[in-house]
Amino acid sequence: MSVHVSPIREPLVTGHKTYHQITEDLVSPTEKMPNLSWVIGFIISLTLLTFGLFCIFWTIWVGIGTWDLNRTIGWGWDITNFVWWIGIGHAGTLISAILLLFRQKWRTGVNRAAEAMTIFAVICAAIFPGIHVGRAWVVFYFFPYPNTRGPIWPNFNSPLLWDVFAISTYFTVSLLFWYTGLVPDFATVRDRAKGLRNKIYNTLSFGWKGSAKHWQRWESLSLVLAGLATPLVLSVHTIVSFDFATSVIPGWHTTIFPPYFVAGAIFSGFAMVLTLMLVTRKVLNLEDYITIEHIESMNKVILLTGTIVGIAYLTELFIAWYSQYPYEQFAFFNRAVGPYWWSYFGMMFCNVITPQLFWKKSWRRNITLTFFLSILINIGMWFERFVIIATTLARDYLPSSWSYYSPTWVEIGIFVGTIGIFFTLYLLFTRVAPVVAIAEIKAILKSSGDQYVGKNATHHDEH
Amino acid sequence: MNHFEFKGSLKTVLLAGILIGVLCLGWTWMIDDHNHTRFWSNFLHNSVFFTGISFTAAFFIAVCITAYAGWHTIFKRVWEAISAFLMPGILLMAIIGLGVYFHWHHLYHWSDTAILDPSNTADFDKVLYGKSSFLNKNWYLGGTIIIVGLWIFFANKLRLLSVLEDNFEDSHFSTHRTMRKYAAIFLPIAGFSSAAIIWQWVMSVDSHWYSTLFAWYATASWFVSMIALTILILIYLKGKGYFHQVKRDHIHDLGKFLFAFSVFWTYLWFSQFMLIWYGNVGEETIYFKTRYDHYPVLFFANIFINFAIPFLVLMRNDAKYKFGSVGIVAIIVLLGHWMDFFLMLKPGIYETAMHAAPAGEAMGEHGHEVAHAAEHVSNFVSGFTMPGLLELGTFLGFLAFFLFVFFTFLSKAPLTPKNDPYLDESLHHHV
Repeated sequence: MSVHVSPIREPLVTGHKTYHQITEDLVSPTEKMPNLSWVIGFIISLTLLTFGLFCIFWTIWVGIGTWDLNRTIGWGWDITNFVWWIGIGHAGTLISAILLLFRQKWRTGVNRAAEAMTIFAVICAAIFPGIHVGRAWVVFYFFPYPNTRGPIWPNFNSPLLWDVFAISTYFTVSLLFWYTGLVPDFATVRDRAKGLRNKIYNTLSFGWKGSAKHWQRWESLSLVLAGLATPLVLSVHTIVSFDFATSVIPGWHTTIFPPYFVAGAIFSGFAMVLTLMLVTRKVLNLEDYITIEHIESMNKVILLTGTIVGIAYLTELFIAWYSQYPYEQFAFFNRAVGPYWWSYFGMMFCNVITPQLFWKKSWRRNITLTFFLSILINIGMWFERFVIIATTLARDYLPSSWSYYSPTWVEIGIFVGTIGIFFTLYLLFTRVAPVVAIAEIKAILKSSGDQYVGKNATHHDEH
Repeated sequence: MNHFEFKGSLKTVLLAGILIGVLCLGWTWMIDDHNHTRFWSNFLHNSVFFTGISFTAAFFIAVCITAYAGWHTIFKRVWEAISAFLMPGILLMAIIGLGVYFHWHHLYHWSDTAILDPSNTADFDKVLYGKSSFLNKNWYLGGTIIIVGLWIFFANKLRLLSVLEDNFEDSHFSTHRTMRKYAAIFLPIAGFSSAAIIWQWVMSVDSHWYSTLFAWYATASWFVSMIALTILILIYLKGKGYFHQVKRDHIHDLGKFLFAFSVFWTYLWFSQFMLIWYGNVGEETIYFKTRYDHYPVLFFANIFINFAIPFLVLMRNDAKYKFGSVGIVAIIVLLGHWMDFFLMLKPGIYETAMHAAPAGEAMGEHGHEVAHAAEHVSNFVSGFTMPGLLELGTFLGFLAFFLFVFFTFLSKAPLTPKNDPYLDESLHHHV
């Protein structure tokens, strides 16, 4: 065997696993009855989901007036939540596509769950544009097709329409990517199953046989999809940022928005991956596959993207002053010390200051702290969108129109409901598919398993 | 051949190049206007371009160390030697800074103290007055020295530790672990400081204009140029028999970087252009309006050369493997980004010169050309509307100077490092 691995790299699969043990560890959660913590989690999620659906129903039945939006503040929690969820989805594509292109082996521990998370997050996000239009029953007007309404076409000059295309394309490619990865793993599940279960998984795996030809095609398809997904992941949040930046509203119209939104999205996405994976690895006993090394690597990405976001915040502030444009200067003054000062403070504290704790190695490897910070970052990134949307709108050009906005129970209910949808789907996913990509873990075993590399290695091959 | 020898013939060629550059600069000085705008703007353009390339090399070394990257280890000395140009770079930029200080030139509109005097109601510029705590002669010089000084500190530290590691075998890789600390600290410093310095050096030539994305855009341009130059240097050195372990797989990876960051540069270009075009705010659109109306060839050539060519040529896998195709694209893109900086700098400088020209009473003999052009903006002004032969000659001079410094530093340490923890991975790099 001729694998050349730097002695400075830490193993990514611990516990001296054999190929069989890997299969056993990763498939068994789908074969056993769920444990109590799963059942409790599922019931809570389902309850939240039901409440959310009720609030959506209420919005449509009673009308958009059940929200606290007003003439000045036309976007509130709805679009804040939309952008937040879309952002969370980004880590999945980053881990699966960009880290694949960079040949980062630590991606294998978390890519499957992150990709699933992408899909569920995009589903949650897509709800908001659909219901925030007021008349949700004519939401099909979004789609450009020959019609008898005049014909009325959507405004192709509007970034809101570009969003429809960007997000649907993104969803499709993410789904393909995720499913492509699942095919060989479904075959592994099938090979251990009997009866109807065997038939279902055989269909899901498209009759995968694991021949050399299959693997070869699978590899090249993965690379092609990674190549497609990389520009896509950049484009999605870029276009979301265009929703704001193409306007002439001070605080929205700024050219740094596209890359800064993408960095922020990756930041929030990694925070959510950490939140989920720290729980999952504990509940499903996956500590040998999602090791402290993985957590440390993700914390480094958090530190990096958090700092990029910090640079962008300060750039915005500085250029607002530098522009000597009074409205621009006021927009940032208002953000920091206006009526919503607490959300600006929350954003700065959670997104820029707390990630700096990860400069310390032992804190990067501290699971409790990581979990706590990942939650803080999720909150901070929500605040960021709230600051951009509500704070900016609340103080527009016309002081007589200035207003204040706080959500109603319906708006809070819908947000909580999307969290319910997200976790319901995620919990179901952990029951039907291997949460860690079996085939990809096996592929890195001989270069990153702790029996081959690191200080506990027992196999020493000669180069 | 683990030691590069900076031999006579190469030295002669490079010295001849430097001589061409000096002659071109001298010639430019002679035919220039009263403020020597063309001379100083060419000096600024090339100093910014090559100092930036050097900075991005230091930055990328830090990125690679922090990211546990191993593939580049066998040629990391190339990047270390590129980053050595920061030392002449600080001198070059300090000369510009001293020029601002002592009014040797008039590249920056904000350096005109007359417009900053509120009592001078006719010419008082409220916007520039508001910015004057950032855009002033003291901070231009001081900021340049502090920021580039910081870059030099980190680049030198990483270089010294890297050379030290060669003679220091250690199973714990303690030298490498020290490098990691410096590299990680350098990253946020580089992120903040490069933006601050680009606002000063480049963005402030259009002294009223602003764009939050601008600093990232200019940095991307530097970075692509750095990768292109690395490819060309490696191909040259391989041709001379050095770096025989650098395989086509390494060039392939550099080709991927060239491709990816050309696309990234285009992404930033588009984001900036599109948002300003769509917003249609006069204070912002003026930047592109000037370039679109008076520099149409450069404006579109910029996109074609820096996006379309690397995108289409390097799309195929095999094109990134072949030294010929990668090398040609690298040459084109390197010139393309040099031209990109030309387009960032010259229109603003020319605008400033036009404003200065009628005001100056004692205009030199050639000042009339600029003054004349001010009345007829559509006029072609060589060296401003388009890079002329003198600009190309100056570029060659700076390139030769850059390479001279580069080869000098390259010859001072073994080409292939020893005891680097990733050396084995890099030697067997295969994707």
